[in-house]
Amino acid sequence: MNPDIESLQRAMEDLGYVADEPIATAVFLAREMRKPLLVEGEAGGGKTELAKVLARLIGTELIRLQCYEGLDVNTALYEWNYPRQMLRARLAEDEGRNPSDIEALIFGREYLLERPLLRAITRTGGPAVLLIDEIDRADDGFEAFLLEILSDFQVTIPELGTIRAEHVPYVILTSNRSREIGDALRRRCLYLFVEHPTLEKEVRILRLKAPGASEQLAREVARFMQALRGRRLSKAPGVAESIDWAQALVRLHRPHLDAEAVAETLGCFLKDRHDVEGLDRPAIDSLVADARSAGAQTR
Amino acid sequence: MTSDDLVVHLARFAGVLREHGVEVGVGDEVDATKALTLVDLFDRAEVQRAFQIAFKIRPRDRAVFDTLFHRFWSGGRPDARPRDPVPVPGRITGGALPYGKVRDDGPMVDEGDRRKPATDGSTPGYTRDVVLRRKPFEECSAGDLADMERLLARLAPRWAARRSRRLTPVRGRGLPDLRRSFRRAIGTGGEMVSLARRARALDEPRLVVLCDTSGSMDVHARFLLAFVLALKRIARTTEVFAFNTSLTRLTPSLAPGRIARTIERLATDVPGWSGGTRIGESLMEFITKYQQAYVTSRTVVVILSDGLDRGDTSMVGVAMRALHAKARRIVWLNPLSGDPRYEPTARAMQAALPFIDRLAPAHNLESLELVVGELGAP
Repeated sequence: MNPDIESLQRAMEDLGYVADEPIATAVFLAREMRKPLLVEGEAGGGKTELAKVLARLIGTELIRLQCYEGLDVNTALYEWNYPRQMLRARLAEDEGRNPSDIEALIFGREYLLERPLLRAITRTGGPAVLLIDEIDRADDGFEAFLLEILSDFQVTIPELGTIRAEHVPYVILTSNRSREIGDALRRRCLYLFVEHPTLEKEVRILRLKAPGASEQLAREVARFMQALRGRRLSKAPGVAESIDWAQALVRLHRPHLDAEAVAETLGCFLKDRHDVEGLDRPAIDSLVADARSAGAQTR
Repeated sequence: MTSDDLVVHLARFAGVLREHGVEVGVGDEVDATKALTLVDLFDRAEVQRAFQIAFKIRPRDRAVFDTLFHRFWSGGRPDARPRDPVPVPGRITGGALPYGKVRDDGPMVDEGDRRKPATDGSTPGYTRDVVLRRKPFEECSAGDLADMERLLARLAPRWAARRSRRLTPVRGRGLPDLRRSFRRAIGTGGEMVSLARRARALDEPRLVVLCDTSGSMDVHARFLLAFVLALKRIARTTEVFAFNTSLTRLTPSLAPGRIARTIERLATDVPGWSGGTRIGESLMEFITKYQQAYVTSRTVVVILSDGLDRGDTSMVGVAMRALHAKARRIVWLNPLSGDPRYEPTARAMQAALPFIDRLAPAHNLESLELVVGELGAP
């Protein structure tokens, strides 16, 4: 294994992010090749967290653009501060300035509201980490617009001219796959699919993120979740749910899993009515028994 | 292996991936070459991971990729080129589809005809169309298919759309658009004479069509697929799947062009065409492989099937429940329900019924025309 990747993996773990080899390799390649990284995977798999950790790792600012249906250039890139412009124009008129002066005045940088994309490009003092979160929620039109930004890292504002990136930001895009991302955008990026973690990885994550949980509790929770994901659920719980649940159990002073504790805290990891109804007492009993016996074996 | 050899080998590997239906572009090869210089070449697992990232291998292509990788980069004999194909489930492996020959069907929209009810037989020259509209698919010939193409081209105006959340410039009523108002004011010396406005854009509904191509559907399938192809022309994002005992995604092989020819080709490409049906298993396959990507709250799912099933009917209910939870609407078009005596008694149909928003007949062209309006409406 490339020692650089190994050290990156260790550094990420020190920051509280358990990265397995595929993740560490992807982050390493994205960093070295200066390409955007498109991260896909189930909800609650730590996609957004990855960008946060990368920002801390590099020691830079994280600039986040949350996508939603209807997101447009005004909210993503820039907007002029119209009320301020109008006030300034009125005042300048009263002062008796000539029109071309006024125009130069009100289309200055201080009247420009920088939205995340522009901010990532104009940031001085080192590249930022730009997180474009849940890109699948934005319209296809916005995706096409992103293509331009992500290949040139420059923006043209009619009144100001073209602004080039001082430092090309590190870009991470995430998608929950609620719709297929266009091929053109995918081709611009490196690609990582985050799967549900293996048992060992999940235990490590729980130990890091729920420090109050004993090794045994973490192992039982992880076992339980792994088995649960194997069942047919309409919404399989992710790692985020495991962490919530482990923390909840610690708060409730439960050193072990038992059927009663599971039934009480079902809402931490099952968030769909059919799924909750589907997990009746006998099912819980057998899952708990499996989780506990397997937990005992490995110790 | 020198680095030149490595690049050649990588290009060959990319070629083999393409041959097996994994979409890999030249840009991806460049990425992969760069990635190779950054990783430990003696660590096979690491090279594999780097390729996965650089070639942008999606989860559904993962199995094929892994198999090919192990065959191709097995060390020792780097030039050993795999000859025998890797079986790829649920994917049409065939030659590349010929592009070109986009045929335009003349004037698509004839405003005059649209306003007349479909059953209007008084218009001279249209009596033939009326007959054709009502002719059951079982009695239609290949020649009728060509005429039907012409009729189907007129479906477009029936298509209803809804408003998106995205705002686009409009005249007249709408929210004030300060950016454009301000720019416009420059032309009038800084005075805002009129406000520019924007309103929610029209939004094309998305369709996912699941078409049963089993033996019992054989007489209908060709005509229903012709209908689906016509739909795809007016709603370009439409995704089409064929199912019988398993599921095949047809969208990539739907070339714009003559409907009849496309269908002939599909019939030879789709495994198990005219075979038995496993509706539940096929729907389940759709849900695990494609639902995430293609079904959103804006999607109308259309199932074309007679509900005669040889598989596990309990799975039909499970699958339909999951689909129902995600999609905007589920429309089930059943060729059998054109018969007034028809009752949805087939077991699969029974299981699916609670989750169907609309069960409509699909035995002739007229019935299909009636249902088009509902596919678009919210």
